[in-house]
Amino acid sequence: MMEITLQHYLVLSTILFAIGLIGVMRRKNLLLLFFATEILLNAVNIAFAAISSYYGDLTGQMFAFFIIAVAASEVAVGLGLLVLWYKRTGKIDLDAMTSMRG
Amino acid sequence: MFEQLFLILPMAIVVMGAFVLLLLSKTFSLDKLNLVAVFFLSLSFIIEILRFGTTTVCYSFPEIFGKMYIIDDFSILFDLMFTAGAILTLLINTAYFKSRNYYNGEYFALILFSVFGMMILAHSNELVTAFIALEIASLSVFALVGYHKYNKVSSEAMMKYMILGSMTGAFFILGTAFIYGAVGSTNLEDIAAYVNVPAEKDLVLVLIGGIFIMVTILFKMGAVPFHSWVVDVYQGAPFPVTMFMASTFKIALFAIALRLSLIDFASLNIVWSEILQVITVLTLIGGSFLAITQKSIKRMLAGSSVVHSGYMLIAYSSIGLGSDMAAPAIMFYLISYFLSAAGAFGILSFIATGSKKMMTYEDFKGFSERRPYLSAMMAIFMLSLSGFPSTIGFLGKFYIFTSAIESGQILLAGLGIVTAFISVYYYFKLIAMMYFYPSTDQQKKFPFDFSGLLIGVMAMMVIWGGVGTSLIPFIPGANGLIDIAKQAIDSLQNVL
Repeated sequence: MMEITLQHYLVLSTILFAIGLIGVMRRKNLLLLFFATEILLNAVNIAFAAISSYYGDLTGQMFAFFIIAVAASEVAVGLGLLVLWYKRTGKIDLDAMTSMRG
Repeated sequence: MFEQLFLILPMAIVVMGAFVLLLLSKTFSLDKLNLVAVFFLSLSFIIEILRFGTTTVCYSFPEIFGKMYIIDDFSILFDLMFTAGAILTLLINTAYFKSRNYYNGEYFALILFSVFGMMILAHSNELVTAFIALEIASLSVFALVGYHKYNKVSSEAMMKYMILGSMTGAFFILGTAFIYGAVGSTNLEDIAAYVNVPAEKDLVLVLIGGIFIMVTILFKMGAVPFHSWVVDVYQGAPFPVTMFMASTFKIALFAIALRLSLIDFASLNIVWSEILQVITVLTLIGGSFLAITQKSIKRMLAGSSVVHSGYMLIAYSSIGLGSDMAAPAIMFYLISYFLSAAGAFGILSFIATGSKKMMTYEDFKGFSERRPYLSAMMAIFMLSLSGFPSTIGFLGKFYIFTSAIESGQILLAGLGIVTAFISVYYYFKLIAMMYFYPSTDQQKKFPFDFSGLLIGVMAMMVIWGGVGTSLIPFIPGANGLIDIAKQAIDSLQNVL
């Protein structure tokens, strides 16, 4: 039986972060884009909790709660806009957003 | 106890004002809400201005929060700029939000929440606090960008900004996690103690974490590899919000960037400098291309704000190469950019009140015949932005280039001067349009009003900041401003 160390948690968190990044870059559906940003933030949460348990202090776990709150408020703003966009265009596709080309 | 409460009073006033505005938003008219918001902001502004230069560095509630929240002249100077920026945004645009049907009471609350977030960002002495403050400020700005909810362009701008912004926000917290893993604390002083003591330590994790944090900061500033959102978001946002973002929100990022590089990573600055030099070159050239190719004035100013980030990045990379002048130069440039950009965007939104047009160069043909005073002020702001002598913008650029030469980055200073010459093209084109073409429209009679007066005061300050001395008490001229900037930076560096 292999012991699970800090490194395993950090590797898991890195893999999740990479999945989230690829999701933000590749997905065209706005709902899935928001999922991907959630994965990004929660990947960091795993790292925080693991490092905090490694050092034996509670700061990191406390920060994880703050990050959860930030992620929730970000999605709240985003979903509000998503509903508005869906009502107007009937689509939640990223390709529909091309009226400006910077 | 009460002393500690007094220390956080300015932010407490701003956030209480935001909640009061939320409560009142259904009962009061927009005019009254505007006055309430300005009242709370000015209260905070007055307390900060009385406090500037009198307090020593201290922490609020150190037993409970553990030095997360620092109060020094550096952060107070930033607070002054944030509150002043918000007050100017609200007062200059009084006519604008009355002429549009989509404004309601929450607009003022969102601006106050965003100012609150920026103030905490300037005061934060700890990375997670900085992240949360940055998110408070950016979430409010996201909502403000999409405030014109019946307009497709505005929603699209908000969506683009929001997805990219929350993705890069994750980089900040990832960098924090790396640094926490290496150091075991996210307090800036602990990190500085860890990094600056030369010992057999592995600094790779701290370096990678710092680079991730820098990515977020550079994205929000609009430096070039991360600039793709700038022009679209500035165009899509309503005029008052563009003014608020360009003048106030951009400054907030430099608060945390300066604090990080002057306290935290002081001994790692050599490594940053190389990365920053590349980004500076890209930002100066790319921003100039963005600005030259635009036809709409709003998009041109958005592109040129990227170039101004580039100038500040010149000084930012000189910090690491041992220039004492660099950090005060950035502070001075921030003040000068704040005055000129707030003025220029203020005039744009003031003019946009009456029309729903795009505001292209063509629309400004013969503007000096229609509105002689406004076009004179616009000319002053354009001269200051392009760095013409006898305005505050010239002195700002002068200090920046001095710091670059002092640290041996002569080529970078040369590139900065070349881009300053390029910027003359797109700024003076507007002046030429206003003065050298006949007017196409009929002359209309415009009444005198308060917004115009405020813009006039700002134009005077731009001139006074360029040529003024300490002849008039309480209004700092050119030499007074650089002294203030140096005092703020000194208070930052005395912590250690």
